Amino acid sequence: MNWADLNLMPALPEMFLLGALSVILILDLFISDAKRGITYALSLLTLLVCAVTQVSTFEPFATVTLSGMFVDDPLSDIVKVAMYGVTALVLVYTRQYVKDRGLFKGEYFTLTLFALLGMNLMVSASNFVSLYMGLELLSLSLYSLIALQRESGRAIEAAMKYFVLGALASGLLLYGVSMVYGATGSLELAKVAQAIASGSANQTLLVFGLVFIVAGLAFKLGAVPFHMWVPDVYQGSSTAMTLMIGAAPKLAAFVFVIRILVQGLGEMVADWQGMLVILAVLSMAIGNLTAIAQTNLKRMLAYSTISHMGFLLLGLIAGNAEGYSAALFYVIVYVLTSLAGFGILLGLSRAGFECETLDDLKGLNGRNSWYALLMLLALFSMAGIPPLAGFYAKFAVIQAIVNVNLLWLAIVAVLMSLIGAFYYLRAVKVMYFDDVQDHSPITMSGDMKLVLSLNAVALLVLGAMPERLIAMCVEAMKQSLVVL
Amino acid sequence: MSFQAVVFYVLSLILIVAAFRVVTAKNPVHAALYLVLAFFTASGHWLLLQAEFLAIALVLVYVGAVMVLFLFVVMMLDINIEKLREGFWQNFPLAGTVALVMVAEMLLILSSPEANLAGFQAGPAVAADASNVRELGRQLYTVYLLPFEAAAVVLLVAMVAAIGITMRKRADSKYINPAEQVRVRRNDRVRVVQVQAVKPEVDTASDTNEQQA
Amino acid sequence: MDMKSLYLLIALSPLVGSVIAGLFGWAIGRRAAHVVTILGVAVSAVLSIGVLKGFLDGSTQVFNAPVYTWLTVGGFEFSVGFLVDSLTAMMLVVVTSVSLMVHIYTIGYMHEDPGYQRFFSYISLFTFSMLMLVMSNNFIQLFFGWEAVGLVSYLLIGFWFKRPTAIFANLKAFLVNRVGDFGFLLGIGLVLAYFGGSLNYSDVFAAAPALASKTIQIIPGVEWSLLTVTCILLFIGAMGKSAQFPLHVWLPDSMEGPTPISALIHAATMVTAGIFMVSRMSPLFEMSDTALNVVMVAGSITALFMGFLGVVQNDIKRVVAYSTLSQLGYMTVALGASAYSVAMFHVMTHAFFKALLFLGAGSVIMGMHHDQDMRNMGGLRKYMPITWITSLLGSLALIGTPFFSGFYSKDSIILAVEHSNLAASGFAYFAVIAGVFVTAFYSFRMYFLVFHGKERWMENHGSHHAHEGDHDDEEPSDDHHHGLGPNDKPHESPWVVTLPLALLAIPSVLIGFFAIHPLVGGEFFNGVIFTNLEAHPGLEAAMHHAHDAMAMGLHAFVTLPFWLAAAGVALAWFFYMKAPHIPAAIKQKFSGVHTLLENKYYMDELYFAVFAKGSRALGTFFWKVGDMLLIDGLLVNGSARLVGSVSRAVRKLQTGFIYSYAAVMIIGVLVLMTYWFKPLILR
Repeated sequence: MNWADLNLMPALPEMFLLGALSVILILDLFISDAKRGITYALSLLTLLVCAVTQVSTFEPFATVTLSGMFVDDPLSDIVKVAMYGVTALVLVYTRQYVKDRGLFKGEYFTLTLFALLGMNLMVSASNFVSLYMGLELLSLSLYSLIALQRESGRAIEAAMKYFVLGALASGLLLYGVSMVYGATGSLELAKVAQAIASGSANQTLLVFGLVFIVAGLAFKLGAVPFHMWVPDVYQGSSTAMTLMIGAAPKLAAFVFVIRILVQGLGEMVADWQGMLVILAVLSMAIGNLTAIAQTNLKRMLAYSTISHMGFLLLGLIAGNAEGYSAALFYVIVYVLTSLAGFGILLGLSRAGFECETLDDLKGLNGRNSWYALLMLLALFSMAGIPPLAGFYAKFAVIQAIVNVNLLWLAIVAVLMSLIGAFYYLRAVKVMYFDDVQDHSPITMSGDMKLVLSLNAVALLVLGAMPERLIAMCVEAMKQSLVVL
Repeated sequence: MSFQAVVFYVLSLILIVAAFRVVTAKNPVHAALYLVLAFFTASGHWLLLQAEFLAIALVLVYVGAVMVLFLFVVMMLDINIEKLREGFWQNFPLAGTVALVMVAEMLLILSSPEANLAGFQAGPAVAADASNVRELGRQLYTVYLLPFEAAAVVLLVAMVAAIGITMRKRADSKYINPAEQVRVRRNDRVRVVQVQAVKPEVDTASDTNEQQA
Repeated sequence: MDMKSLYLLIALSPLVGSVIAGLFGWAIGRRAAHVVTILGVAVSAVLSIGVLKGFLDGSTQVFNAPVYTWLTVGGFEFSVGFLVDSLTAMMLVVVTSVSLMVHIYTIGYMHEDPGYQRFFSYISLFTFSMLMLVMSNNFIQLFFGWEAVGLVSYLLIGFWFKRPTAIFANLKAFLVNRVGDFGFLLGIGLVLAYFGGSLNYSDVFAAAPALASKTIQIIPGVEWSLLTVTCILLFIGAMGKSAQFPLHVWLPDSMEGPTPISALIHAATMVTAGIFMVSRMSPLFEMSDTALNVVMVAGSITALFMGFLGVVQNDIKRVVAYSTLSQLGYMTVALGASAYSVAMFHVMTHAFFKALLFLGAGSVIMGMHHDQDMRNMGGLRKYMPITWITSLLGSLALIGTPFFSGFYSKDSIILAVEHSNLAASGFAYFAVIAGVFVTAFYSFRMYFLVFHGKERWMENHGSHHAHEGDHDDEEPSDDHHHGLGPNDKPHESPWVVTLPLALLAIPSVLIGFFAIHPLVGGEFFNGVIFTNLEAHPGLEAAMHHAHDAMAMGLHAFVTLPFWLAAAGVALAWFFYMKAPHIPAAIKQKFSGVHTLLENKYYMDELYFAVFAKGSRALGTFFWKVGDMLLIDGLLVNGSARLVGSVSRAVRKLQTGFIYSYAAVMIIGVLVLMTYWFKPLILR
């Protein structure tokens, strides 16, 4: 290997991100707390430049570089751009919230960008080792982000739980990967796939490894029964961190799963399909049923996330391009929706007050009908009520599984989304029909109000005209996955 | 059974017992020491795999640095480990059963003819003078460049996070700045107030009113 | 103005009035409410008369076209369409003119009622619904109108919704009509299923001849003629709406509503909707003798036995109500005899004279300060001359006095039945002939009791509060007294009440004479009502006589019906004017019969015991088993319990302790592994 082989262009955004990150890290030392806005602006600028770089280096095919460790394909491009946008939104939404809680510090931004770097790596990795490094980078950043709120015992507890269980899941994943390595003799996804296709791999070992890999992946997605951390972490963390965990990492985790299961172990689709069916059904059932019993909104949304991950898995279960693209569409819409939902919660919170129980939403319509409407859009989208984007997302994945003759699964999914609609609608009912309990005014900065409105309206627009995004997802999947 | 196999099983047995004792030892210092033992035997396994550098690194880094630090912390903090492990024995039957079933299943699966572990041959022999360190370095800086860099970033994150979480100004800390103490002037500390030599009237009526309110 | 807009105007102007009075009545006040509704109905009435005139002189053509397509389901269109032919035109005039009279009358009658605007809104809404019903060119719209008039009827019977009896009555009307509608809807369903997939009358009638011998199996193995089943099902609908035995029980109770309503809805128009519908369906009914027999029997029973009940009633409105039932029976008998045109003729004449009688009764009730018991009346002719004379004319028309309108229609029915060749015609003939006597008797019993004889309100004053006090026409909350005070005298009603009486008296007397020739003898209904004269010759006799109204009237003096009617009048005079002790003696002697009649043949009790109790038992069963156990218990509470227990279970696992979370994860892995390596592990 010599330098001529080292094509670094595909990794340009990541390199820029790391460079800018280091600059911010050092620069922040010289910025006083009052001027922390500079760090904030620089972080947003970094995200913008990354996005521009990503778009301008776009190529409609896959480029593998760095000794087969890194791949730049349309799938990673679309997801990365989405992650830059999502991270930017998170920063905008959480600015006031973290200021009020004394978390508006350099570490907050650098750790967020570190997490983003880890996600980029997960999305673009084409080797088990780089995949794992990306995952650990993301996880470590998230653990520390949660723990940044040191004064809150709940946050520390959440961080601890996340950390310990995450370590266990990583262990499971690594154990599975080692089995796959043993069976195929390689850690590179393409070579693993090749070895399996050629039939030279040890099938028993592969499936044995697959069980552990699926368990590890399920933990990252938060699918039942590897979901136990989700409610506690969502509830325990400050809402800003909850949003951070619940948004972009879901995108990264989705591509992570696609990379491993489809690109690496695509030949074993029959095996992992069955496992995912169990996870999906359990997730949809436990997620939705348990969410009904929750009075804490963050906990409710945590269980809702679990059920959404079940739906996401449906797309993967379909095992074809249609299903994968539907799942990609689903995860993008889901992240947009949860951004809007948590954004409202962040906006309703203020110094010394956390908006996180159902009662805190009481009579929101009476306090501010516009926010109530935005929240309504988000909740309806989560419930999958037409014409919001969430409906088409659910529709697409369900159609995908119907097309592969998994009708019973589709029926279960529809039933579960029906049950799920209950708790979303209950929140809507509380907003619109209950009496106001909290009369304090809602203060939201102008930029946040604007972005939040755009975010929620985007759900409506995407719901009305989903074709473009769906077409993009389909194209990205087709151009990225050679197995299709 | 070859000599290596005998060593492997002996080391494994020690490793498992040590690991079990880490969890079950009542004294935290004992637990830490059992962990040291576990690390030692693990490095022995690596030696069996001819990975001398990794074996040494494990002993140096974990046993030498990490565990010593850990022992310090354990001794200084005086943790009541009994309290931490409350319920341990209560849950042990279930946990033990699950673990046993797990091990049994894994044994059944991996020892089955389908798994065909016998089909795996030993890797190509390495020359006696082949340098572990050199090969490792070469791999890390060529093929595994990206993960290596990523590992570096992970360490950076760990550092940032450690500082971010621990470096803080506690609200309840009694903190003294000597420079300010030196620079202090009379007017900063003393205020002269003119007090009239009249006894102020106590308004009892308003007091009772407030209480009633 | 083209015909479509004209017809739309006819149908919609009452609706506009209704909407204004109903929604904005609180704002525009009482006066404006009645002005706007009367205006709406007046527009309809005038235009309707114009339309009828056009059909009479042949200048207007049959109009049959869709107006508005409501929705399309699987290639089938539900549309609003108008079919306006001579039959429709006649009904338009009857409905709008009677409605107009009732509107005017209501100004006086409801003068003191707090629900004044609401009442006007309702009756205008009713007019609109009835017009939609008669103008429909398809079954869906027919059904819409059918249900709409039923709804307004329900609302109006319960107009004084604070009265438990009114609520009971409207519920009863509603439920009994549901039975009829059930059959009607099934009939429409059969039509849709078999008659070419269309619900337009013209398409259905075109498809009918091909289906004459088609049979269907409802119970496997039993072949039934499609047409017979369809017709009987449709007729069940008519039985509900037109209060034919055994679905008649709701009509007497419907007198709980204000009197104008009894006149408009429960005598003149809505209850004839069933007759109208069967006439409309004449091409279908003509093809099934079985169905015609069923129709005839139901009509005969109603005509005769409901007449008997009129004899024992003491409430003035109830007498008229039972008379209405009996007359509806006559119409139904005519339908059974295939004399649809005669039935429609009777619908028209009856609408006028019965509305007159009801409004007259209402006027009497007002004069008596809302006392409805005839035993407290008597000698009113001195005090209420206009009411007296118009009521006399109405009664004469009702009993079929020659040259009065009722005579022509009733005699035509009798003639048609006499010459009918159906199996049931013998019984029917007996029923209608006997009915003539009964009708005359109870009509003049009422007439003599009310307008002649002693002025009993003086002597009975002390006890008249004990009368069936539930049937007085007033709000219970109103504190104005029932009946006359000790020094009060009955008084004539204001002009808004007497004017409609006078206006209605004119057609009650005259219209039969002038209309019999075109309607029965002539070609007015040609191409609209279809009668197979060869198979059902009943109509021929009636047609034959109808050519010369004068001759028919003169001839009547030598026929049986006339003498029976005269005998009835004479007997009534003898019993109630000459020898009032005789009825009391008869009542004593035949107390069994009297009790039977008093209790309306125990039909209500029967229905209560069987249907109401039965359905309540069934309902309780469904409630207990279906709702409480299955839906509430298993589905609702069950799912809630399931959710609860799942939540509890999950919560139990969700202990908050890391080790239990880790345990769940490990067990998850274990389960997955076990599941995928079953063959290897279990070997």
